Amino acid sequence: MGHVSAAAEPGALLEHLFRHQAGRMVAHFARLLGPAHLELAEEIVQEAMLRALQTWPYQGVPENAVAWLFRVAHNRAIDALRRNRYAGGEEALEELARTAAKTPDDPLVEEQLRDDELRMIFMCCHPEIPREASVALSLKTVGGFSVREIARAFLADDAAVAQRLVRAKRQIREQRLTLEMPHGAELNQRLDSVLEVIYFVFNEGYTAHEGQDLIRQDLCAEALRLGGLVARASLATPRVHALVAMMALQAARLPARVDEAGDLVLLESQDRTRWDRRLIALGFQHFNLSMIGEDVSEYHVQAAIAATHARAGDAESIDWPVILRLYDQLLAINPSPVVALNRAVAVAKVHGPAAALAEVETLERERKLRDYYLLLAVRGHLLLELGRSTEAAEHFRSALERPCSEPERRFLRRKLEQCGPSA
Amino acid sequence: MPQYMLLLYGDPANWATLSADEMQKAIQKYFAWTQKPFTKDSHRLADDPGRVIRPPAGKPRVTDGPYSETKEVLGGYYTIEAANYDEAVKLALEHPQLEYGGTIEVRHVWGT
Repeated sequence: MGHVSAAAEPGALLEHLFRHQAGRMVAHFARLLGPAHLELAEEIVQEAMLRALQTWPYQGVPENAVAWLFRVAHNRAIDALRRNRYAGGEEALEELARTAAKTPDDPLVEEQLRDDELRMIFMCCHPEIPREASVALSLKTVGGFSVREIARAFLADDAAVAQRLVRAKRQIREQRLTLEMPHGAELNQRLDSVLEVIYFVFNEGYTAHEGQDLIRQDLCAEALRLGGLVARASLATPRVHALVAMMALQAARLPARVDEAGDLVLLESQDRTRWDRRLIALGFQHFNLSMIGEDVSEYHVQAAIAATHARAGDAESIDWPVILRLYDQLLAINPSPVVALNRAVAVAKVHGPAAALAEVETLERERKLRDYYLLLAVRGHLLLELGRSTEAAEHFRSALERPCSEPERRFLRRKLEQCGPSA
Repeated sequence: MPQYMLLLYGDPANWATLSADEMQKAIQKYFAWTQKPFTKDSHRLADDPGRVIRPPAGKPRVTDGPYSETKEVLGGYYTIEAANYDEAVKLALEHPQLEYGGTIEVRHVWGT
């Protein structure tokens, strides 16, 4: 009696292969079946994956796992169309029956599949669809995330996410949204909303609210993947590259953001050898491409800030005056209190803690920031630098009462200890 | 070395609730088990309900599988080598079947 399979090794599947292939298969079959039948496309893909789940554990992973999945889905699609006839379905059935299943290693097919994914994400970000629904729909269809995964990543309710998706799909059907790419000014607008959705996904992943859930890191990776997809397309503008540069340079720092004990490490004290070199190189590559032309978007400035940090060999050589100028620029484009708070940190480095404290105090009047733990933490930090440890301790204590993640909480407790026993 | 059969029972509906990412992880975990040094054999059983043959008075009666009242079906089996039941159970406790809500029946193959 020998082993059942001598084929592939257990590790033969690339990380997230199923998730990524689910995304592109849904995009592919949604084009073939028509976007009104997005749900059917999702079912077909789910069935193909289930088939794999039932057979691969015993027979081993087939040599070309992706082609296997596409072939099974292709046959399922033919079956589904034969069973369930709808207007326009005849054409799809004919095309499916005429052509063999797509073999994704063929470069032409590969290009077609990338195009399918691109069209899908552009449809998901249609201005008629509300932002939150666009985000969920993009992650579900192109990203291959499940409802539960999306809900967990956004700390939302499963039912609420499912409802959002149902409504968005109904909208696609009723308003007859198509997978046609928009043209001219409409294309630029749509591209902007695609970038906003990707940026939103990245930020949600980057700003861990609670705990250290892996799914949130997956959001950063998915945002980068989607950004790369758009950046590779012929419609990519320098703004697209700026967003990808910013995401890559920031994501490169993720491994260094917490130390071995799971404690938060501030950017300037991070162990730079733990930064992801591959992502930094990717970031600079897109950063250079973003410089073509006159456009200076928010993504450009954020990418420039991240690049300035990445360029510094150690904490001492960070060019704070440049970073402060970039924050001034960012504030002019996006006058948000959160940007202003980040800028205050640069002010402290360039003009000292007293100047920064004055700026932070004016920010406290902002209703949006009043309950933000970071504002209190920054203020406490500046007070501590000025030797006003009793006041500093008060701020760290009230920051601890605000919602923040466990590593952030430990960080605040350490700062509180630094205020001394008398405080 | 004595051989033990691990009979894997589970509710196939559980699989349908997994995400793509979770399905991939499940495949890798189950497949890794077929590659363990103590695993001698592993097979999946078809999804159909199978047939059950019972000998009532008169001629034998053939019915559909035993699963009409229960959702848990025998989905597959492994043959492993272990010194005794304790070791077989200890190994089986690590099997992903339990993680995915299934049941494992451990039986000694008599005479091995």
